[in-house]
Amino acid sequence: MEFLSALDPLFFFLIFAGSLIGIVFGAIPGMTATMAVAVCLPLTYALDLNHGLALLLGLYVGGISGGLVPAILLNIPGTPSSITTTFDGYPMTQRGEGERALKVGIVSSLFGGLLSAAVLFFFAPVLADVAIKFSYVEKFLIIFFALTVIASLSRNLLMGLFSGVIGVWLALIGTYDVSYGGNGDTRLMFDFMEPYLAEGFSLLPVLIGLFGVATILDEAEKGIKENTADMKLSLQKGAKFSFSVFRKQKINLLRSGFIGTFIGMLPGVGGSAASVLSYTQAKNFSRHPEKLGTGEPEGVIASEASNNGLTGGALIPLLSLGIPGDSTTAVLIGAFTLQGVQVGPLFIGENLDTWNTMMVALLTANLMMFVTMFFAIKYIARVVMVPKYILYPIIMMMCVVGAYAINYGVMFDVWTLLLFGVGGYLAAKVGIEVAPLVIGFILGGQAEVYFVKSLESFGTLTIFFTKSPIAMFLWVLIFISVGYSIYTAVKAHRQKQAGDNGK
Amino acid sequence: MGNSGLLQVSIDFAQSHLFFPRIIHWLLLIMLVLIAVLQGIPYYRELRAGRKSLPFTSGPFDAPRLFGTIVLTIAYFLSMSYVGDLFPNTGLGFLFMSIPYMFALSLLYLHQRNRRHLLRVTVNAFIAPVVAWYVLAKLFNITLP
Repeated sequence: MEFLSALDPLFFFLIFAGSLIGIVFGAIPGMTATMAVAVCLPLTYALDLNHGLALLLGLYVGGISGGLVPAILLNIPGTPSSITTTFDGYPMTQRGEGERALKVGIVSSLFGGLLSAAVLFFFAPVLADVAIKFSYVEKFLIIFFALTVIASLSRNLLMGLFSGVIGVWLALIGTYDVSYGGNGDTRLMFDFMEPYLAEGFSLLPVLIGLFGVATILDEAEKGIKENTADMKLSLQKGAKFSFSVFRKQKINLLRSGFIGTFIGMLPGVGGSAASVLSYTQAKNFSRHPEKLGTGEPEGVIASEASNNGLTGGALIPLLSLGIPGDSTTAVLIGAFTLQGVQVGPLFIGENLDTWNTMMVALLTANLMMFVTMFFAIKYIARVVMVPKYILYPIIMMMCVVGAYAINYGVMFDVWTLLLFGVGGYLAAKVGIEVAPLVIGFILGGQAEVYFVKSLESFGTLTIFFTKSPIAMFLWVLIFISVGYSIYTAVKAHRQKQAGDNGK
Repeated sequence: MGNSGLLQVSIDFAQSHLFFPRIIHWLLLIMLVLIAVLQGIPYYRELRAGRKSLPFTSGPFDAPRLFGTIVLTIAYFLSMSYVGDLFPNTGLGFLFMSIPYMFALSLLYLHQRNRRHLLRVTVNAFIAPVVAWYVLAKLFNITLP
């Protein structure tokens, strides 16, 4: 119970501040939880691990939850994961039931968040125990599996895989590290780049560039439209909120929460997949499916319970395998590394206090998010009206701070920020997807070490199939994941052709 | 393992830093060809038929704001590192250059430039960098340019 000593007032204040800032980020269309975590990262440089985590987890939970505000009030999803919230939330606002819709969403968010935190608490240590026995062969296969899953759930299978491999390629730039058994030579660069790129690109400037700067460039291209200026908030004209809405929705809540948690566990899969899947399931099981989409609380519940389920779910592979479940947890990896903590199968066992503190922080973050939003929703609803011409310059400035300070003052990291900002903006134009790219970038270095070392010790490719029952099981998973993606691609293609013929 | 000779691999340690990148290059090349064949050709047909447009030409394209942001940011980084070298380890390069940068960027993003908006922009351009500099560089001792 030593971890209790870490829980001082500052700890709880940081969770509160984090969830509040997160909610604001989530509530502003175009800003995401990932961006909130990336932009606020420099604040944690001065904190110790526990306090840093308190702030970051608050930001994470708040950022995912805040997205429901503009989704319900403006019909604009604040984060990709609240797309399906607009389907029923906005019609409710149009009927004058805005406040009711918001509160239904907030309660569902709390439920999803707590459910996934519970799954995390019980499941991550078990998974880590299994993962401890993994050798390089299994570790490589897990990364391979992660990459196929990302690809199979991205919009376009081939482009998803391509983006992931580009990420791996970017990760290989630099020295083949001696401390992992490499030979210390540099590759994939010209000699004049060596002073800058000997260590490769730093993770955080890359992430901040891709998620912060690229977003701003994208908005700049669209002309920085102030789409909220003439909004009138009519929150409370129709039916009032009461908890009786949830009486018949217990199964919906549970199902959606579990779907969110499960999707969150799959590496690199964004929140929109979770909410879309649980919304379709809610529709399939609903007693009156035709009403969904016309302003039914049922739809808001399904969407919001699942997207907050992501939070705990995405932390499971991060803390037990060292593989981030989504782009926000990818940034969290950076924060851990910064504090000198290696996440992976050994993390929970060796850092039991940190693990307990994290669970307390996650739980508190969910509760604080709920209290803040439930009672102050009318005021929070106004933050969607903060003008972008004020906000975006501040974000650019914070991106610079985050990139520069990460390695204690390397100007090249700031240029990395711009390079990946512009690169990310252009890449999105030609259909390259950022999420698989980031996961590939994070896992690429390890993938190389595991792959090359396995071959160096066993000398044959067959080892990847025959090493252990776990390896074979992982191959089954890989085949299922690839098979599923080919199946859905073929199905979508047939439907499209049928549609084309029908014209 | 007698009959798996084809799958035998031996890696020369001196060249081992190129082994995995080579595989990745082949993968990228194969996928690029696949993408060109499976998606590029249909896309090109649609393009010629006029049913689709090039990725950069559809929708609103605000060139001044986009390129303005990039140019301002490059100028910001260059000047920041220059001024930062004049006052090393103080974060003053960041402070002094953030103020004009934020002011210019806000002006660029503003749609109606009336007095009330200009006042807001000016106040923000001064307060935000000063607060950020004070909190990060002075209170938290974080390295700034």
